[in-house]
Amino acid sequence: MVFSNIVVAVDGSTASQEAVDHAVDLARHSNAVLTGIFILDSQWPDFIGNDWQSSKGARQGFLDHIRVEQEEQAAAARAQFESASGGLEHATFHVHAGDPTDVLIEQANSDKTDLLITSRRVFQVSGRPSLKALGTTLARKALRPILLLP
Amino acid sequence: MSNESPGFFRQLPSALPGLALIILTMVVIRNWIEPWMTDAVVFGSKGWLVKVTHLNYILLGIICGLLYRNILFGGKMPEIFSNGFKLSRLMIKTGIIMLGSLYTFSAIVQLGAMAIFLIGGFVILTIIMVLWLGKAFGLDRSMTGVLANALSVCGVSAAVATSPAVEAKASHVAYAIATILGFGILTMFISPFIGHALNLTDLQYGAWIGTGILNSGQVLAAALAFNPNVAPGTAVSVAEIWNIMRVISIPFAVFAVTVWYWAGRDESDATGKKKSLGTLLVEKFPVFVIGFLVMVFFTSMGAFGDVGLKNGPPASETIKMMRLWMTWIFGFGLVGLGGYIDFKELRQAGGTPLKLGLIVGTTKYVLALIVVFLIKDYLVAI
Repeated sequence: MVFSNIVVAVDGSTASQEAVDHAVDLARHSNAVLTGIFILDSQWPDFIGNDWQSSKGARQGFLDHIRVEQEEQAAAARAQFESASGGLEHATFHVHAGDPTDVLIEQANSDKTDLLITSRRVFQVSGRPSLKALGTTLARKALRPILLLP
Repeated sequence: MSNESPGFFRQLPSALPGLALIILTMVVIRNWIEPWMTDAVVFGSKGWLVKVTHLNYILLGIICGLLYRNILFGGKMPEIFSNGFKLSRLMIKTGIIMLGSLYTFSAIVQLGAMAIFLIGGFVILTIIMVLWLGKAFGLDRSMTGVLANALSVCGVSAAVATSPAVEAKASHVAYAIATILGFGILTMFISPFIGHALNLTDLQYGAWIGTGILNSGQVLAAALAFNPNVAPGTAVSVAEIWNIMRVISIPFAVFAVTVWYWAGRDESDATGKKKSLGTLLVEKFPVFVIGFLVMVFFTSMGAFGDVGLKNGPPASETIKMMRLWMTWIFGFGLVGLGGYIDFKELRQAGGTPLKLGLIVGTTKYVLALIVVFLIKDYLVAI
């Protein structure tokens, strides 16, 4: 099977390092275009929806605090991807926003993606507990080839 | 990352579908479902569904919101309804401000003295217990700080207020919130049963759940589930005074935990994070509490007529009408609150934060009930 476009989920963690290394090897052997993606988790306002008491300032201060952490993670993910993909001719890195699970399913099912590579433990740094089931959900809903690493 | 909603009026047109769903749900519940449950004969007993399950329009509304999100919409509120459900927060705040019309300042002083004693004691003891257990379980310091305030003050709001000050990571906050909401939802449904089984009065029940339930939304729901009436002396009127006391303590609790967190650390790291009590009071003090106090002021001045306090003249027509509106506003708000309960998030919560949360939450819940029994003769009815 020939892969022309490979997408790998990167979050800067040790879990995603293995996925990036596999993706780079595969892209090199297939001469494929490699795209690294990080997803800023946009579900936090919804996740704290039960909070009706906070003043607008306190709520906004909290969301800004979470956003700063995620932007730092995005920077770490980019550094991880660029370090591993050094020497690859066609390697790009993109930052998306949304629910990490939904964005990964969308990427996996896109016509432009021949293979999605990800670790089951990716995006745990985003924090929300439901992301623990990301790998299982992806395996259930992906319609195109995926490589799911531990 | 899309962070917050735009202003109320800009948001209103896009909120209409969600608001319509919330209003329709509550209208159907109050006009058809609740009356049907009251009259239905189950196991040969008329009204069994209400007498035994204690389901009233409040709990039914929360259950509907919960089913919309988790069953009908597959775990996520569709975009078309999302802004309307966001406005449910505003409805609850409006309802709480209107609750100010249940009290005069003298009634607040009578109830509030005991509330300060109970809430203050429980907040301090809970913080100490969490800090001690956090150390014993080897929990991260930031995580412990978030849990300390979330479990002692008022759940999600306290976690939101504390996290930036103790450098909490997203995962810390997420697990704290999931733990609190899981425990809060459980206590919200079982408390009315326990209250009725123990024959608690509205005063005792309100004092118990106002102290023992972790999250404010669930305090409100559990109070109205026990007795849906909104009047002086009902469970909600007592529980909300307790709750207001907890809310007022947020800036103080954030300050105390921040001081603990930064103790022994390099002060230069704390720049912009460790704030003075005055700054925290300005930043974290919930404005709706001021609205509530303004309402109490007008009520005390007799702006809405007689309040209907115990041994006093009956409530005026204006006050009665406001109380009817409140029942609807809380009904709408709590359908929205149910729509924010995500089973996926709760199911995946776990680990040490959950263990610590369950130990402290259960201790607080049971201890509050014991204390309320012990001081029942000192609780003052209004």
